[in-house]
Amino acid sequence: MSLRVRLILILGGAFVLIWALAAAWMFRDLRGQMMFSLDQRLVASARMVAGLVQQLPQPLRAQDGERISADQASIPDGMACKVSSLRGEILATSHQGVEAALGEEGGGFHDQVIEGEHWRSFTLSHGDVRITTADRQQEREALNQSVLLAASVPVLVALLGSLCVLWLGVGQGLAPLNRIRDALTRRSPDALEPLLVRPLPAELRPLVDTQNQLFLRIGQAIERERRLTDDAAHELRSPLTAVKTHLQVARMTDGPAREAALANAEDGADRLHRTLDQLLLLARVEGRLAFEENGGCAVADVARLAINDTSGGDARRIEADVADGTGQAPLGVPLTLAVAALRNLLDNALRHGGKEHPVRLEVCREGQHALFRVRDCGPGINEGELAHLTERFWRSSHSQGCGLGLAIVQAIVQRCQGQLEFCPMPDGLQVDLRLPLEGQASA
Amino acid sequence: MHVLLCEDHDLIASGIVAGLAAQGAVVDRVGTASAAEALLKAAHFDVMVLDLGLPDVDGLKLLKRLRQQGYALPVLVLTARDAVTDRVAGLEAGADDYLVKPFDLRELSARLHTLLRRMAGRTVNRIEHGALCHDPSSRETWLNGEVVELSRREQALLQALLQHKGRVLSAEQLKDSVYGFGDEVESNALNVHIHYLRRKLGNGIVETVRGLGYRLGPAATCEQVQP
Repeated sequence: MSLRVRLILILGGAFVLIWALAAAWMFRDLRGQMMFSLDQRLVASARMVAGLVQQLPQPLRAQDGERISADQASIPDGMACKVSSLRGEILATSHQGVEAALGEEGGGFHDQVIEGEHWRSFTLSHGDVRITTADRQQEREALNQSVLLAASVPVLVALLGSLCVLWLGVGQGLAPLNRIRDALTRRSPDALEPLLVRPLPAELRPLVDTQNQLFLRIGQAIERERRLTDDAAHELRSPLTAVKTHLQVARMTDGPAREAALANAEDGADRLHRTLDQLLLLARVEGRLAFEENGGCAVADVARLAINDTSGGDARRIEADVADGTGQAPLGVPLTLAVAALRNLLDNALRHGGKEHPVRLEVCREGQHALFRVRDCGPGINEGELAHLTERFWRSSHSQGCGLGLAIVQAIVQRCQGQLEFCPMPDGLQVDLRLPLEGQASA
Repeated sequence: MHVLLCEDHDLIASGIVAGLAAQGAVVDRVGTASAAEALLKAAHFDVMVLDLGLPDVDGLKLLKRLRQQGYALPVLVLTARDAVTDRVAGLEAGADDYLVKPFDLRELSARLHTLLRRMAGRTVNRIEHGALCHDPSSRETWLNGEVVELSRREQALLQALLQHKGRVLSAEQLKDSVYGFGDEVESNALNVHIHYLRRKLGNGIVETVRGLGYRLGPAATCEQVQP
């Protein structure tokens, strides 16, 4: 049920009920007043006739066939009047035929049925005459009906008018909601542009504003996901293209050219493999998937395994230095994640640190964290690049990496409540990776 | 066919260079937009293969800039992005064709030949010139219906002449069509190739325009030739 119909049913129902009760009350009172007034009229008429009779020159005598006509007695239309002596002789009457039955011995009001008609009569004894005035109940009712009808027309008109005003007012009041509804129905299901509905009442503005902010955020999220998918596709397609191209070259050529092409294809396959591994690792880290181990691995083991796993260059360039008493400290991070994070940092250092320069790895304990400090002597990075370092698929212009390494480190650090800090140096880059020791964090 | 390949990914670039060379094209490869612009100024290229993900300038920007500078050479865009909007953006920026990675080297070569053919206003791949017939894709040449064996350089030379029927090509332009930018070229190498071409296809195939260069000889002369 629409809001408008609901409001109108509730308000309109209440309106009609209240008006009906008021009208019933009014009609009841009106009818009482009406009957009272008509009775008063009988009384007044009887008194008037009595006054007239007294002023007549000689007292009325019963005369056969000669009576005062209704005109003489000035009796109003529709009202019957009978003047009779106390003994019961009829001296004057307005209506032939009913006079004999009209009236009672005693004075006051009486309801009678005469020849099938209902009458109400009033009898007044005055001097030696008895005066009875009467009118038909039917006429009284007709009079009553016409008064009630006259009173009910304005009431009905007012009620209908109120209902119309109610209908229009509710419609007007709900117009902003309708505008929002129309704006929403006009949109295509995947539209993300903000709703432009103006003007809006203060109650609805926060609703539409929140909605628009939501649209904006969803739009940004979708755009970000689309870019990521694009980037992932790009990163996977590039090595795949290299593999495919070189395999085709191998088929077209022979001798050393063929050998070179096959070697290149293998190189491409390795890159594809690395990119896939990194992507899957990132998905697992960000997806909060559980890793088999729960931590407890020694800091020195992490350093040793990470150095073993490096693929960015000659691992013999790494000069590792584990501070005394730190080596056996257990890390509160799954071994796989700790090794992957450190390995990615070392890979980057080997790749960008210049072929001749060593890469230094210092490991020490710092409060509740193990600090892995990786220092290279390469060209370093500038301020502008610093902000992009941990973005997925971002890489410096000359890099041949897949642009995921530092994003993975960042994701691991976030997951394990560690810290990652880049400190540009005049002659290279220093990266501090802090991972919590066991008992300090849960991964 | 002298191709300028603009691709920053070393492995892919080496594959395309080797693959196109194996199919008879002369390929020069650059890895950045600035190098591409420099090379375009220095030598004549028939067609350009452009990767959109260049490290210095976005490929589409480079393409727009080249078109603004008046370079009309056909450009085939390579990209790993396959969204329709990306493709439309590429074509609107002035690309003549579009290929999504990973692609087939034979398809790349065929598309490049098609671009050249369209540039020359031909509707079929095969070029006929009197009694001479040449297919750039299969790199076969016939004279009076007989197959003629041509070396790679001679093929390239013949193709350049046929591609620019009736126009005079300078010695530099012809050299650009036959040799890559980095190739060591002896000073009389071009004359040697022209000499062999005349011996195999008849003297009239190449006309020397004194002081200007060379052009394709009139078609009629070929019919009289019996090599």
